[in-house]
Parts: sequence; structure tokens; C-alpha cells
Amino acid sequence: MRRSFLGVIILAAILMMNIIFTQYMVHQYYYENYEKVLIFGGLNIVLFPLAVFAYKKTINMRA
Amino acid sequence: MSDKNNKIPFNEDNYTHNIERNNERKLDRRGFMKTLVGAAGVFAVSSLPWGAVAAKELMGLGEKEYPHKKITDVSKLPIGDAVEFKFPGDHDDAILIRLSENKYVAYQNACTHLRCPVFWVKEQGEMICPCHHGKFDVETGSPTAGPPRRPLPEIQIKVENGAIFAVRVKRYEA
Repeated sequence: MRRSFLGVIILAAILMMNIIFTQYMVHQYYYENYEKVLIFGGLNIVLFPLAVFAYKKTINMRA
Repeated sequence: MSDKNNKIPFNEDNYTHNIERNNERKLDRRGFMKTLVGAAGVFAVSSLPWGAVAAKELMGLGEKEYPHKKITDVSKLPIGDAVEFKFPGDHDDAILIRLSENKYVAYQNACTHLRCPVFWVKEQGEMICPCHHGKFDVETGSPTAGPPRRPLPEIQIKVENGAIFAVRVKRYEA
């Protein structure tokens, strides 16, 4: 595996987690478990700086 | 007009004929990763309103009792018939069904699948969602067939001086 694809893979994984958390959040909202809505919404927000960090760390990787 | 573009061939600084042959429509790894980061940002921003509404509910603002609202008069609603009304807001469709002399049930009638309006079929004694043929039990509001999985939110009813009032929306109990 070429190291240069590591960043793409990490970001794709983060995006996948975003999708899962969003779906959980919406479902838990309709089930009226509002604590869980806050937890998953918070996780969704935390993932964004994580994605920026992953981008900056991996962008200059060669080959 | 400046003479900026007066040369032949002129300097193309427009946005419709700017494809260079050598790196035509280039999407490199860096650009692709930027798109991914941007998408993560969109997810983060879009989860803010859900969090805000959930926090509002947690702080008890959603528990407040709405002003009692008159739906209809008892004399105008024969047994087995239904009437539609709005409760608690002007855009929250609801339905009131008279099951017997003194038994009334009321639900918010947005289907819990995709929010189509659920209606009452008197002949079959069922509440049916026309969109995907979801069915609800009229006594409890719980789904009996079709795609919906959650019960319809029940509205508490009060009968006073020959008029029917909507009191409050019952909390969903999982």
C-alpha cells in the first residue's frame, strides 16, 4: 500500500463515521433519547477538527 | 474596454474555455482530501440544530403544557367518525376519532415513517397512511403493518360542557 493514500483512507473512514453518527442522532431524536442525540451530535462536531488534523498530517506524505 | 484581451490569440481569463490540455479537469489527491474535509465540516454544522433542539427538550422547555384548544363539539362528531385538527402548533396535523359514546382517541397524524398524513378508515377500523400503506392501531397508535416502526404521538383529550379539548401531547415511552 502506498503511504500517500493513508490520508484519503483516514478521511474516508471519518466521513463514514459522520454518516453513521448522523443517522444515529436523527433516530435517537425521534425516539426522544435526547442525551444520546447530544452525544452523537458532539461526536459529529469533534470529527471535523479531527479531519482537518488528519489532512494536515498526511498531505505532504510522499509515495 | 482595456486592451487586455485584444491580442490574438487573446489571454483567456474566462471560466468557460479554461480547460488546459495537459492537466484537463485535474482532481489531485490534495483536492480530493480537501473535499472530504469539507464534507466532514458540513456534517458537523448540520448536526448543530439537532443538538440545539435536543438540548431544548432536555431543559424541559418541550414539556410545557400548551393552551387547551377546542377541537369540536360532541354533538357534531358521531360515533365512529374522525375530525382533523391542528395541535399544538398551526402546522402539526392531528386527528380525533370517536370510538364509542365516551371514548375518544387523538393522535398527531404525521406517519412516523415519512410524515404523510394518516387517516381513519371507518369501515376497516384502522388508521392508514396512504403513502406506503402503513397501518396503525386505533386504540394505542402503535404501528401494525407497513414501514412505520414508532407509534403515533397521542394527544390527551378532555371533554367539558359538550366540547372536546386537546390538552397535551403525551411523551413517547420507549
